[in-house]
Amino acid sequence: MESFITELLTLLFAALRSATPVLAVVLGEAMTQRSGVINLGVEGQMLLGAMTGFAVASITGDPWLGVLAACGAGVALSMVHAILVLGCGANQIASGVAVLILGGGLSAYYGIPFVGDRIDTLGNLNHTFVSDIPLLGQFLGPITPTVLITLLAIPAISIFLFRTRLGLRWRSTGESQDITRNLGHNPVPYQLGAIAFGGLMSGFAGAALAVDYTANWVEGMTAGRGLVAVGLVIVARWNPWYALPAALLFGASEALNLKLQSWGLPISPYLLATLPYLIPLTVLMLSYRGLRASGGGMPAGLRVVFQSAR
Amino acid sequence: MKKAIRTLLATSILAASFPLAAETKVGFIYVGPKTDYGYNYAQDQGRLYLEENMDDVETVFFENIPENADVQRVMERMVRSGVEVVFPTSYGYLDHALKVAEKYPDVHFAHSGGLKTSDNLMTYFAEIDQAMYLSGIAAGLTTETNQLGFIAAHPIPQVLRNINAFTRGAQSVNPDVTTSVIWTSSWSDPTKEAEAAEALISGGADVLTGHVDSPINYVQVAERRGVYSVGYHADASQFAPEGWLVGAVWNWGPMMVDIVNSAQDGTWKSEHLRGDLLTGAAQLSDFGSAVSEEDQQTVLDRQKAIMDEQFQVWAGPVVGQDGTILVAEGEVMTLEETEKMDFLVEGVKGRLK
Repeated sequence: MESFITELLTLLFAALRSATPVLAVVLGEAMTQRSGVINLGVEGQMLLGAMTGFAVASITGDPWLGVLAACGAGVALSMVHAILVLGCGANQIASGVAVLILGGGLSAYYGIPFVGDRIDTLGNLNHTFVSDIPLLGQFLGPITPTVLITLLAIPAISIFLFRTRLGLRWRSTGESQDITRNLGHNPVPYQLGAIAFGGLMSGFAGAALAVDYTANWVEGMTAGRGLVAVGLVIVARWNPWYALPAALLFGASEALNLKLQSWGLPISPYLLATLPYLIPLTVLMLSYRGLRASGGGMPAGLRVVFQSAR
Repeated sequence: MKKAIRTLLATSILAASFPLAAETKVGFIYVGPKTDYGYNYAQDQGRLYLEENMDDVETVFFENIPENADVQRVMERMVRSGVEVVFPTSYGYLDHALKVAEKYPDVHFAHSGGLKTSDNLMTYFAEIDQAMYLSGIAAGLTTETNQLGFIAAHPIPQVLRNINAFTRGAQSVNPDVTTSVIWTSSWSDPTKEAEAAEALISGGADVLTGHVDSPINYVQVAERRGVYSVGYHADASQFAPEGWLVGAVWNWGPMMVDIVNSAQDGTWKSEHLRGDLLTGAAQLSDFGSAVSEEDQQTVLDRQKAIMDEQFQVWAGPVVGQDGTILVAEGEVMTLEETEKMDFLVEGVKGRLK
């Protein structure tokens, strides 16, 4: 029994580790979409963040500076999307794809000199009071700062979005730009802020991968996790609280794939490798039964993006 | 975008090198970045060795070329710019290289790891599984839990050879050893490799190794979690000063010099050139401080036996996962057979397909 609980906790915390970068992106992208803008370029922003964070950590020797630089790089690249979409009125889908490819190319090119560098990591909670907690200590100890920061971002975003006047206008921008304008507010600054916040979170997610978790930079290292996050925003119904179970679902499926293999179960590794995609897809399908009319919580202004009118 | 940068880079390299056409031009094509600290890095080290050790040779290279018709275009471009010896270094380039080789009979092609040849296309590779066998001995002597972990990309013969050789090496000194394999389904996915390493360690493995593009990820996780690691492709000991045991690494340089020499002086042969520990194309890296003098000696003694051809890694009995005898005692697998390996040996935990 005890070993079963240990295995379960191991899996849960492995899921949390795998989920963290995805969760950060889901939170950022949900906020972007709450303002009526969709940004498919988050994967590119993650990559540029990962590369920049790793490079700065390698040059300065300070991983925290790397995390800051990664956030900055994410914001900077997201501004390309902002200029194209808000400034030039470009198609949001096309612009997002452009940002995605640009981020991949830039990070690959400028990351070359840093491949194989060794950087210091951000450390973890080992040797603090939490690692002395019986039973849970061994699992809480290895938790790294990016996991904590991402978890803390959930209540912060939720309070901002649902309990402040600014958050109300942010949401109303996403529901209808016309109403926002009629109320005497310009929607553009909100959307600009929303895109920048998405950039910040995806840059941070890149740092969580490259600076914190693997302490390594490899071209294309996000391996599609940014795009998965865009999909998980729908599973999470644009709600920061639902983002946690949605991201954990992905993290747990990925962790389970590897865990089951390490147990040597007689299941094909090819089948197991589909778990991280199969499980969220199933949940999405099940959870949307009967929700079709309400659109599952999709901001009304976002529908415009998918209609030819614009 | 990537393509644009690549083309730009390629044109500038070719333009810059044009006036020196009197030398033999040698072209290299890599499937990933040459700085991957793994397979491509090792091939590129060979290219640098070539430049350093042959006065009349000049090299050009292309990185990140996918294993599709794109690589044919790159080879044609190389040939037209005066390249006389082409090294398509990735496994999946073979059929494309054969096509281009047929079109340009005066140009020499040397493919890495292939199993087909033509008049002007030969293949080169090295039996690095010998070094993995030796690393397995170090792992088998070091492990306390008798569980080893192997992080593998795809179940192709080259990878299976390493998993099996590593396991057999460990079993030769410690019959109780088992190896758990986790497939990542990708040559390079650092997050998944790190998570696979975590899963193996929490499952009880205390020596990790792998066959993915770069050993850095699992070696770093092993070091953080306080277990041992065995490297592959390139020496990653700087990433694990405490837990590094040893690793299997490539040394392509001298072999590439021989190939280019044979193209220059007309002794070129259409053959499968295979290096090993003896020729030095596959090597054992330096030992880490975690391996005792005595254990190092055990490994080195076996290395000497392999080099003196008194011991063979694939000598029977070779027993499959389900206990069936695949190679009987007294028989030895041929090179052809090992290069088509499609099984896991007894003691390996994990599924092939």
